[in-house]
Amino acid sequence: MQNLLNGIPLWWYLVVSAALFCIGLYGALARKNAIALLMGVELMLNAANINLLAFWRYLAPASSGGLAFAAFVLVIAAAEAAVGLALIISVYRVTRSIDPEKLDQMKL
Amino acid sequence: MTIHQVLFIVIALAVLGSAIFVVTTGNLFRAALMMILTFFGVAGLFVLLDIGLFAVAQVLIYIGAISILVIFAVMLTRGMQGMVPRNSQAVAAAVVAGIIFFVLLLLFGPLRTTIDVARWPVISLFAGNTSPRDVGGIEWTPPGQPIPAMPETYIADFGRSLVDLNQYLLPFLLIAFLVDVVLAGAIFVARQRRPAEVIEDRQRQAEEAAEEAEAMRRAGLTPDVAALPEGAVASTAEQH
Repeated sequence: MQNLLNGIPLWWYLVVSAALFCIGLYGALARKNAIALLMGVELMLNAANINLLAFWRYLAPASSGGLAFAAFVLVIAAAEAAVGLALIISVYRVTRSIDPEKLDQMKL
Repeated sequence: MTIHQVLFIVIALAVLGSAIFVVTTGNLFRAALMMILTFFGVAGLFVLLDIGLFAVAQVLIYIGAISILVIFAVMLTRGMQGMVPRNSQAVAAAVVAGIIFFVLLLLFGPLRTTIDVARWPVISLFAGNTSPRDVGGIEWTPPGQPIPAMPETYIADFGRSLVDLNQYLLPFLLIAFLVDVVLAGAIFVARQRRPAEVIEDRQRQAEEAAEEAEAMRRAGLTPDVAALPEGAVASTAEQH
């Protein structure tokens, strides 16, 4: 067996991360609630982080690129959550609804 | 099977199961709680990767900050928790997600024993066949080679790389700027706009009263003009 860490091959991480990403993608596409939609995006960002850190640990642990980019993803996720939820609350206050399909005020 | 493999499978099942619950349940509050479980599981995966720093960061930021924000938003948007969870394109979304999942699996090459890094189109550009190769200042471990140990000082190296002009100083500064702007923007967007809301409420009341007056006029009754709030009469007049 090649490329094992603690007996776990790299592709196990990749499969888990791919599955988590697709679950999050389904959540982001199919939910009828803007907050649930943001939850799906968070799941996708988590999957990306698993990929970054697994690849870093298995393939290039001598550099710190994987760590740096995983940290950036973490910060982006926090920023996205803050702005997204602020927007959702603001929209809810005006329209009393957070169904993304009904938020078409900006349509031409 | 080693204890690590068993742990990995248990954690992976917990992560995927709770993630599926998050995207399917109609109760938003339960979804948020299960999302915390997902984040914990991902932190466990980081522990199995020997990256304690990121396991801690995951718990602090994702669970301590983001999940709390989400729960706050769920509670602030009252009455939205029991909504139908899926919209009209749920089937198409499931199909798309499934297709992308299988494309990703195919990218991993035949899933026999281990991923063959040479089959990965992007990685194979970097990973040589025999010896570690230095590409872009990064040493890549080619397939078949044992995984090198992480340097003991990986946290210090990571911190230094963030302020190193030749490494990640620029993205680090950009991220810092982004967080700054985001904090100010979030406060600006979410703050209370009392005067505007009051005006809006008055307008809505006036419109409702005008509609009522219109209904009474249709029914052949004379609306009691004196009882209407200001603006209602004007808007009724505008309509005709």
